[in-house]
Amino acid sequence: MKLQKSKKVGTRCSWIPTKRDFSAWILILPAILCIYLFVLRPQIMGTYWSFFDMRGYKVESFVGLENYKTVIRDTQFFKTLWNTCQYVLWSLVIGFCLPIIVAVILNELVHMRNTIRFCVYFPAVLPGVAVALLWYLMYYPDQGGLLNMIGSWFGMEPYVWLQDARWTIAFIVISMTWNGCGSTAIYYFASLQGVNRELYEAAIIDGAGFFRRFFTVTLPHISGVALLFLVRQIIGVFSIMEQPMQMTDGGPNGASNTLGLLAYKYGFVNIQPQYAMAVGVIMFLILMVFTIFYFRLNKIVESKY
Amino acid sequence: MKNMDKGILTNADMKLTRYKLLYVVMFAIMLVYCAASFLPVVWIMLSGFKDVKEMYAVPATFLPKNFDLSKLTRVWNEMKFYKYYGNTFFMALGCVAFDLVISGLAGYVLSSLKPKGTRFMLAVIFWIMLLPGTMRTVPLYMEFKSMPLIGINLLETFWPIWLMAGANAFNIILFKNFFDGISPSLIEAAWIDGCNNIGIFFKIILPLSVPVFLVVAMFTFNGNLGTFFWPYLLISDREKTVIGVQLFRMKTSTYTMDYQMIALIFSVVPQVLIFAIFQKQIMGGVNIGGVKG
Repeated sequence: MKLQKSKKVGTRCSWIPTKRDFSAWILILPAILCIYLFVLRPQIMGTYWSFFDMRGYKVESFVGLENYKTVIRDTQFFKTLWNTCQYVLWSLVIGFCLPIIVAVILNELVHMRNTIRFCVYFPAVLPGVAVALLWYLMYYPDQGGLLNMIGSWFGMEPYVWLQDARWTIAFIVISMTWNGCGSTAIYYFASLQGVNRELYEAAIIDGAGFFRRFFTVTLPHISGVALLFLVRQIIGVFSIMEQPMQMTDGGPNGASNTLGLLAYKYGFVNIQPQYAMAVGVIMFLILMVFTIFYFRLNKIVESKY
Repeated sequence: MKNMDKGILTNADMKLTRYKLLYVVMFAIMLVYCAASFLPVVWIMLSGFKDVKEMYAVPATFLPKNFDLSKLTRVWNEMKFYKYYGNTFFMALGCVAFDLVISGLAGYVLSSLKPKGTRFMLAVIFWIMLLPGTMRTVPLYMEFKSMPLIGINLLETFWPIWLMAGANAFNIILFKNFFDGISPSLIEAAWIDGCNNIGIFFKIILPLSVPVFLVVAMFTFNGNLGTFFWPYLLISDREKTVIGVQLFRMKTSTYTMDYQMIALIFSVVPQVLIFAIFQKQIMGGVNIGGVKG
């Protein structure tokens, strides 16, 4: 998204605000207040208070880096950090290529185009908490769950699904992909409409088959968008909190815990908000690296396409 | 044969057997994908009508033996869904009102009036869109417990959620970009004719941008119907909470699985209806602001 340089209306050149400026600022005041109170202030105070000791939600005394030391020394911290990375890795394995494939196939089909598009987008309509409950029921560890029911037709024993610590994260990521893939696929689909047809024609004259055309024409066209989605997905999944909270509550035995959920538990379950903010700041620093990268990338991609 | 000239395959390709085969394979993959998209929802809808006993029957069946439609009304009344629907709609409509008024006015000021400091303001808005807010939750909660300066406690009300809906940087930029398309000479003419800033907004900007307001209203409403986290954190009174929170609490309640399933169906009906009606806008709306979260 580009910010346009403000073009000045009329012929104002002095730095003194006019009467009209004042009335304009009054109209934008609610937005400024909301942004200050609910975005900037919590951002700044959250960082500031992470260096303080707190009792309940009362700020007590400055302790320097003590909160950070406590958080990092906690046996759960590195395990949770690794879990969070596992979420990111699984989401890349399961959820990164799938929307591209779906979009490309969707673009090829001529039969039932709109019906299929509707079906593909449909899961994205459901709210996250409903999807979490839906998949929680599907993964139900006894006969009542859909997956065990299907398994039983093929003679499988009921499987514990989410309670299997080795695969919990993958299962949660599958449910997230089911929810999010459709809308991402529609983005790629929109991007595919912009491919220059002459390039395909040239490729056909050169004798390129379907897959050759896909790799030499289609893929380079969407690679910029794909790269942006990749970084956004990493950022989004790294700060994940609601899905593990709703589906497993971080279990079994912390196997699906994430940094976001850890911060939530510090802040609102154990009532040690100073640690919650320290975890938040650590997450912020990690995410900031990706965000700056994303920002740079966005500029390059926008100037190219 | 219909015209193929949209994808990689062309009409000429379709005369070859191997491409016909490839097309059929792709079609089959898509059908499987669509089935996977719908199957869980269909299963929930069918299983909700099953007896609890039938659910654990061996061998398990996909279709229920008898449809007991009275179950719908039973769940609706027993779980007091009318109350949660009311609360959820009240919350979502409040969010729409706050978002449209605050972001709309801000977009108008930044696009058409451009007072001094506009560029600084735009830079701030742009940056907060990119800033990860992972440490904001606790300070926000503390603010709502006792608002700065005035010291009012906003817990157990929808005010925090409404006010946060007003601080939507993305929508401010969206409105600004849309208003940029309105000719500045219209606004100048109205100003010279003696119309004040707020008058220009209501008499010129608003009538020219009804569609964008409607689309943003629909997206905000739809998005807030399923909110979970903040209502869960702020509202502990079970009577005052919203559907999303109630769904989550149901997981650990004593309700049997069939009740949970029917409640799940109830909870997604509004979103599915909105999608069925505004399909075009929802699937096309993804292009409004380029790449969007």
